Amino acid sequence: MNGISAGSPRTLPVAATAAWLSAGALLAGLLAGCGGNSPSPANSITVNTATCGGQWSPVAPGWHTFHIQNQSTEAAEVDLIDPASGAIYAELEASGPNTVNPLQVDVGSGSYAFRCLLEDTDPVTGPTVRIPGHVRGAAAILPVTTDDLIQPAREYRTYVTAGLNVLLAQVKKLAAGIGSGNLAAARAAWLPAHLTYERLGAAYDSFGNFDGEIDGRATGLAGGVSSPQFTGFYRLEYGLWHGQSARQLTGLGNHLVKDVAALRAAWPGMEIGLLDIGLRTNEILENALEFQLTGTDDYGSGTTLATVGANITGTRELLQILHPLLAARYTGLPSVYSWLDRLEGLITAQHHRSGSWTPMSQLSTGDRQMINATLSQTLQELAPIAVITEPRRT
Amino acid sequence: MSEPAGPAASVPAAPSPGSPGHAPASPPSRPAGSSPDDPPVAGPPSGGSGQRPVPARRAFLRGALGVGFAGAAAAGAGAGYAYRASRPIPAAATAAETAQAGVLPAVPFHGRYQAGILPGSQRQTAVISFSVTAAGRGELRALFQTITDRARFLAAGGTAPPVGISAPPSDSGILGPAMEPNGLTVTVGVGASLFDDRYGLAALRPARLTQMQPFPDDNLDPAQCNGDLSLQLNAGSADTVLHALRDITRHTRGGMQILWRIDGFTSPPRPAGTTPRNLLGFMDGIANPDAGSPAAMDELVWVTSSASHEPAWTVGGSYQVIRLIRMLVEFWDRVDVFEQENMIGRRRATGAPLDANSEFAIPNYPVDPSGAVIPLTAHIRLANPRTPQSGSSRILRRGYNYDRGIDDVGNLDQGLIFTCYQQDIKRQFEAVQTRLTGEPLVDYISPFGGGYFYALPGVRNASDYYGRALLT
Repeated sequence: MNGISAGSPRTLPVAATAAWLSAGALLAGLLAGCGGNSPSPANSITVNTATCGGQWSPVAPGWHTFHIQNQSTEAAEVDLIDPASGAIYAELEASGPNTVNPLQVDVGSGSYAFRCLLEDTDPVTGPTVRIPGHVRGAAAILPVTTDDLIQPAREYRTYVTAGLNVLLAQVKKLAAGIGSGNLAAARAAWLPAHLTYERLGAAYDSFGNFDGEIDGRATGLAGGVSSPQFTGFYRLEYGLWHGQSARQLTGLGNHLVKDVAALRAAWPGMEIGLLDIGLRTNEILENALEFQLTGTDDYGSGTTLATVGANITGTRELLQILHPLLAARYTGLPSVYSWLDRLEGLITAQHHRSGSWTPMSQLSTGDRQMINATLSQTLQELAPIAVITEPRRT
Repeated sequence: MSEPAGPAASVPAAPSPGSPGHAPASPPSRPAGSSPDDPPVAGPPSGGSGQRPVPARRAFLRGALGVGFAGAAAAGAGAGYAYRASRPIPAAATAAETAQAGVLPAVPFHGRYQAGILPGSQRQTAVISFSVTAAGRGELRALFQTITDRARFLAAGGTAPPVGISAPPSDSGILGPAMEPNGLTVTVGVGASLFDDRYGLAALRPARLTQMQPFPDDNLDPAQCNGDLSLQLNAGSADTVLHALRDITRHTRGGMQILWRIDGFTSPPRPAGTTPRNLLGFMDGIANPDAGSPAAMDELVWVTSSASHEPAWTVGGSYQVIRLIRMLVEFWDRVDVFEQENMIGRRRATGAPLDANSEFAIPNYPVDPSGAVIPLTAHIRLANPRTPQSGSSRILRRGYNYDRGIDDVGNLDQGLIFTCYQQDIKRQFEAVQTRLTGEPLVDYISPFGGGYFYALPGVRNASDYYGRALLT
């Protein structure tokens, strides 16, 4: 079963503090000190242990730049929030000691306060400043916390666990085809197995070295496709579609089974990076654009469009998992889905009744540009999700 | 089990975007020829008072360059902005300095005509042809509105909107936090293919707009020809051009895809005060109609309301011909300079017609009917024979040099992005090009791409957009 483990929800928040926040906001105690240069006093916000921002005066609605002056010897994170909800208008991550950094915000009518995040102490929220009138500014967004991401991580673990079970059976079938000398059966078994793996896309980092063994490409290896280190799906694809013999490929087939089995065994103990869940919503398809639509990852079967389809499925899974967090935070979410639908339609149109897929090299320029455009627009729509779902301290 | 792996083990891998584009090639180190073989110039200095202040007549290859045409260099006026002159025009020397710093003033975006058509060539350009991928008329209109919004913003410069924690930054940042407009102009054209059955625009196709067909001396690569939409970005520096390209494509990914693109540049005048040179080493691009003359432009460049054969929406637009012309520079550099000059019809060092002493002199063909001085097949003579009949075939040329890597035999891929504007492609560009068929120069050049487009009427005001009259 999928027990509690290193990567389990229970231990995640602790780990998160060190890893997820360190990138942007390793917080330390702040000491009051002499300020650095102070730009325009009206816009200058001072960070120290006593107050967060201190008294500042309402500014006119519109684009505004605050200058955040960290008068301490430690890094700080400073957010401009709606004090009633805790939603964030703008953030400054990792403001170093004795630095002054701009914080840009589209100010509208409403309530504003600065919140300074210090390690080992409660956040300090400065006084609330009300901007009068009825001017619409940029909307504040409720931060996503590590706690919020625990359930998504749990769901994602379950999804991958199920996928790995299927995958193991499929690669066994693939290896059996090779082992028995029935290469036609092996070719038929290769694609379903590969697509199952590609549907797990979100897990690249979580799979550690397993990914290179199972789905690594020949680029980056001295000798390329002849390198003995070239293993896994693409190596088998290369062999199966370049006339290599069962004898040449049997060891590689068994190797793949062994790697998948090892991954499946290790998976319950492997970490799921909470930041990764959001990042993967666009990174899976970024990889699809870079390696599948270019044809780079076609080692002979001409099925990179099928891989894109599997990547769409993986992306949809993540969106579904994150949906409760995104629905109230990302107004562009319906557009994400409509572009994904459009993309999926274009990909499916290249899957023929015979079961075969159009190789990239045989797509017309028009079809290819339509797919490129649609995937590229989908990526634009997906890009905000990683920013919105980055785990933040509150 | 369950030794905490430590989140550090799961540091996210940064995506590794490929670096698109071609490797830039170094320009040849061969110094531009100052040929000692040329006779000393005894005539009036270039741009001297002895010359008429209207456009001098020059070789066909390129457009007027920056301050070079219409005697504007002498006048010290930045001819680039002369016609739309709603703001002060810097003196030539000052303009060069500000161009270096990347702080050319904004070119007003709104107007009856697109702002990038009449001004002379800027330092940098990008010419891009797109396939439109928008689904249906509504998305097509949204695409044109988005392009308009971005062009309006980019031409004015300023600061990109803050995004808080809602999205990645709204701007690429390559121009810094406060973007200088740096003279950016955005010129949008539509190709004949946009008027196929996809958007129901067939009945509105500009009457003279067709796909470019090969001329006898062409070597066209279909992958670098035509397109649904042309975009030309001109500015004082390469970063401004590329910033604009990245901004516009970022906002239009689903609506259009690049079919082909090429970047170009204008060389500084060598020596100072002369017309800039092309990569054959010749000064190039003076014999343009006077872009400062509204009458001349109405006669040669703009489609006006008197053009009864044209759909009404086209008024204020112009036919745009783009020709990507490879120059076989290695071969050219192996040719005797006098042979080069006979092919062009001008002195390489001075730009003077072979029958005169200065760059801006007018060749006198009637006294040389047999071509004893300027051969009958010389490029400038075929392109503009200066007969009463040839006047209406004049075109407004706007050319740029390009340099983009090497070919299969290791030769430099260099040449010319020839762009011209006219009222009627058949009457003008095609007539000129047909006269040039078989000229001796064709052995040293190879047109390989480009296309015909219709440069849209200008965006009149803040509520207008490119192609509004076409799409509503």
